[in-house]
Amino acid sequence: MFQLSELQHDALVEIFNLGVGRAAAAMSRIVGEEVSMSVPMITFQSRAEVAKALGSAEGRRISAVAQHFEGAFHTEAFLMFPEEKSLEIVRLMVGQSLSLEELSEMEQEAMSEIGNIILNSCMGAFANAAGKELRGSLPTYHAGTGDDILGLSGKEWDGVVLTLKIDFNIERHHIYGYVAFLLDMPALQDLQRYIDDYLARLMG
Amino acid sequence: MTTVLVVDDSKVSRLLSKQYILNRHPDWAIAEAASGEEAIDKLQTVTPDLVLLDLNMPGMGGLAAVEKIQAKCPTAHITLLTANVQDATRDKANALGIGFAEKPITEACIDRIIAVFENE
Repeated sequence: MFQLSELQHDALVEIFNLGVGRAAAAMSRIVGEEVSMSVPMITFQSRAEVAKALGSAEGRRISAVAQHFEGAFHTEAFLMFPEEKSLEIVRLMVGQSLSLEELSEMEQEAMSEIGNIILNSCMGAFANAAGKELRGSLPTYHAGTGDDILGLSGKEWDGVVLTLKIDFNIERHHIYGYVAFLLDMPALQDLQRYIDDYLARLMG
Repeated sequence: MTTVLVVDDSKVSRLLSKQYILNRHPDWAIAEAASGEEAIDKLQTVTPDLVLLDLNMPGMGGLAAVEKIQAKCPTAHITLLTANVQDATRDKANALGIGFAEKPITEACIDRIIAVFENE
């Protein structure tokens, strides 16, 4: 079973905290509201457990933007909201100038762009801290249950995946969502190496 | 008249850029392209003074389009306007001699790009 030492775990949270701060600032500029984000929570779970945590069992539907990053390490990144909130978020983004019909037409595409900005903010902070480059795929928008969303990458998530989950809250509008990064075993080993390099640099 | 070419595969990003530019300069002409290839095609009919260029697009990415745009429009001021906030990307923009601005696209962000362009 893969494990991070306490020091590696702390370093990973610290690095992602930089990304969280940046993502919160970006989200706040998109919606023109205060946005709070939690400290990243790191869990090791099976794919089924991750989907369950997303409410798959109750059939809860979510709106998600997925993006694959590769380079320093591979990860599947997701930005997720309750499906019924996505139109409201797009409205906050584009303002009042569009009709509901225009807004609906633009919903998926606007959500993809929001995902692109938020996920790149998180990954950019990580890449900068690691002194490496990460290449992101084009963002894709999906709606469905947690199971539907996590099955999208076409990968067999048969092993344990590391989930980095960050809750965020657009306070005035009571919109909760979260960002999650899933890493499988080979990615975890790469990630562990970068954390060690990062720690070695910090300690001189 | 000043002409701006907005290159972004995201329709909502093009819409926001256009809206914020026109808020500031209602008389400017705005042309749009959804990819690097489309931007280069557009140069046959449009000679932009300012180009806002997304990085991550289907087909030719923003950085690959830069040299082609510079070859056809050597005087155009180009700014990479991207969600990719990595130092590596910023360094590439510097090396190409173009501006760099971070998404999200807000009125303040567009104002800053215009200010740099106008002070050139």
